[in-house]
Amino acid sequence: MDIAVTGLAAISAAGVGIEPLRETVAQRQCRLTPVPVEVLGEDGYLWGKADGFRAADFMPPLKARKFDRCSLLATVAAGMALADAGIDPKGGDPTRIGIALGCGFGGIANSVEFLGGYFSRGVEGLVPMLFPNTVANAAASNASIEHGLKGPNVTQVQRFCSAEAAIQMACRFLEEGRADVMLAGGVDELTPLMMAGFQAVGQLRTYARSFSEGCGILVLERRDHAERRAARLRGRITGLRTVGMLPAGREQETVDRLMPPAAPALVSLSGIAADITALIAPLPAVPTLESGNLIGRSLAMGGLALASLLLVLPEGARGLHLAASPEGPYHAIDVTGGMRA
Amino acid sequence: MDKTRIAITGLGIFCAAGKDLASFTDALLHGRCGIGPVDLFDVSPFPSHIGAQVRDYSPLDYFDRADARRLSRTDQFAAVAAAEALGMSGAREHYDPFTVGICVGAGASGMIHGEAWLRDRLAGGKGRPGDLRCILPDRTTTALAERFGLWGYQGSITTACSSSATAIGWGADLIATGQLDACLCGGSDTLSILTYAGFNSLRVVDPEPCSPFSLGRQGISLGEGAAFVVLEREETARSRGARIYGRVLGYALAGEAHHMTAPEPSGSEAARVMRAALDNAGVSAGEIGWVNAHGTGTPLNDVVESKAMKLVFGADVQHVPLVSTKGMTGHCLGAAGSIEIVATVTALGAGIIPRTLNFRGSDPECDLDYCHDGPRESSATVALSNSFAFGGNVTSVVIGR
Repeated sequence: MDIAVTGLAAISAAGVGIEPLRETVAQRQCRLTPVPVEVLGEDGYLWGKADGFRAADFMPPLKARKFDRCSLLATVAAGMALADAGIDPKGGDPTRIGIALGCGFGGIANSVEFLGGYFSRGVEGLVPMLFPNTVANAAASNASIEHGLKGPNVTQVQRFCSAEAAIQMACRFLEEGRADVMLAGGVDELTPLMMAGFQAVGQLRTYARSFSEGCGILVLERRDHAERRAARLRGRITGLRTVGMLPAGREQETVDRLMPPAAPALVSLSGIAADITALIAPLPAVPTLESGNLIGRSLAMGGLALASLLLVLPEGARGLHLAASPEGPYHAIDVTGGMRA
Repeated sequence: MDKTRIAITGLGIFCAAGKDLASFTDALLHGRCGIGPVDLFDVSPFPSHIGAQVRDYSPLDYFDRADARRLSRTDQFAAVAAAEALGMSGAREHYDPFTVGICVGAGASGMIHGEAWLRDRLAGGKGRPGDLRCILPDRTTTALAERFGLWGYQGSITTACSSSATAIGWGADLIATGQLDACLCGGSDTLSILTYAGFNSLRVVDPEPCSPFSLGRQGISLGEGAAFVVLEREETARSRGARIYGRVLGYALAGEAHHMTAPEPSGSEAARVMRAALDNAGVSAGEIGWVNAHGTGTPLNDVVESKAMKLVFGADVQHVPLVSTKGMTGHCLGAAGSIEIVATVTALGAGIIPRTLNFRGSDPECDLDYCHDGPRESSATVALSNSFAFGGNVTSVVIGR
């Protein structure tokens, strides 16, 4: 596999754009903030809200109103990623540009508002405009409509590996020739009601500590395609591996299936990968980067985590991105660092 | 290099038209409608009171008490259909479990349970935490992987009404590229207040059983169900003596980039994905015996899909029936694509073209052959199955006998 990463975009608790994310990761600054006590009825928790993101900075308020927050994050990030890659979809064949996003929770605030209207006021409380954005693919679809991307369009919800699952599909679509350019990554929003839900199922003290929101998108191309248009390489994806489970008694075999062909210079850990001893034990001497500790975690934060790795990995250096969910699945992505500016 | 041929060695289905493959096949052969009154939740406030609800369903007929409590309605339907497909195939027992994966297409998933939690919270209660456990579509995928010991790839595709068609195409990709030896692919989705209220609020639900492509149609009939196929390389399936029920010859997916809910009106975008699927399969338009339409029964969608057919098949379009099985199954949203692919495989195997039910009269804007008159015998060996979704997410899958 030789897939070029020719563009990056990030909206996170670190700020809007890749520079704030690069600075946060390079300096290991924690951008998490305390969850207000009124959200959970108790304090002592952190979250990673993308408070620096204002849709009005990117589009007229009337236009922004038709999107849910997830779609806003994805639509704006997709535009940033295309600009970073120097691609204007209107300047070429839009059917050759697609989008694959992971989206853990979808536009859940929008769904709650729609259902809340019905539960409180019956059919009179239904707002038809809200319903289309209740589907999990709304973010990727709205981004494709806004930017005129007519290539493959897909959304994956696969626990903490949602973005990695989408990136895997995007790479395959490129290799097969289904598209020349794929925007791939993940997006999630975070609301107080979601935090209440995590609290209710006991996840604030386990996997979902320091939950967050944001969007990370990579622009992917076959390397020959990127070189033909003299694109700047922000990095390369050279391998992808995944397994569904760590079955009892065969953990080592599972981990072996995920390990890279050569030792990396830096390992990025996403989801709950840092919590799985068997997964990180084979790489004891390799420095690790867990962007979740800096900007927070969510189901589809793999796009931001992978962008973080590429932003600090020296040109030509090997990196490994490991993502894991409770009870699986597990993803490993081999990358090579590219030009930083 | 020749394209890797992907065989279907197992089929499973659980929906209003049939709770297993045998009863579903019987419904398909005889044109039996699964649409009737809905009593899963209160539908009295809505203009429509019907849907393709799975009637007389008791979880304890299929699961022990712990699983009946732990699994959502969506997960349960999925488990029943997946068990049938895996049992028929025998693939799971043949391969290293690390090389057997799962890809599920989902829609509202366990939303009906999340709705109970939300309603309680909005009323000032705490909500039952268990209701939140299964609201995300990946829960179905993981539940099936755990239940059936599938240790390979796990994927959950959520492209609304095209989800499970895409899941089947993607599963075929994973096998063709050697990442998997076998893949359980399909979808499951159940009725929920969110979707029932949502489609009613958009005024696209027919108060009578949906009547695709016919005069006076008013929209969809919502449904629920699950359908799965087991895919393998044909060569390997043959060598282990597996029976082959059909083939996934190719597929294509795209975004129309037109509108969140309305199809591109000329049909050119839908035609583009249909042509791309044929190209991917290495099949010419002339080889397609019939098309399993997305065919929702909405006034706009049926016309646009008919236009797309004309763009793809040109002067021969009247010889390529465009059939909707949604009059039988309802529109099962995330599971619609896989249900229609199972119907397509079954019909090709039985040598029939299914009937489009609930005909109300000819619509001059729908002027193709829709098989309103009844199932008919056919020697077709290749068919196309269309799945078009919110967001302009369009997928077409080419199925061979």
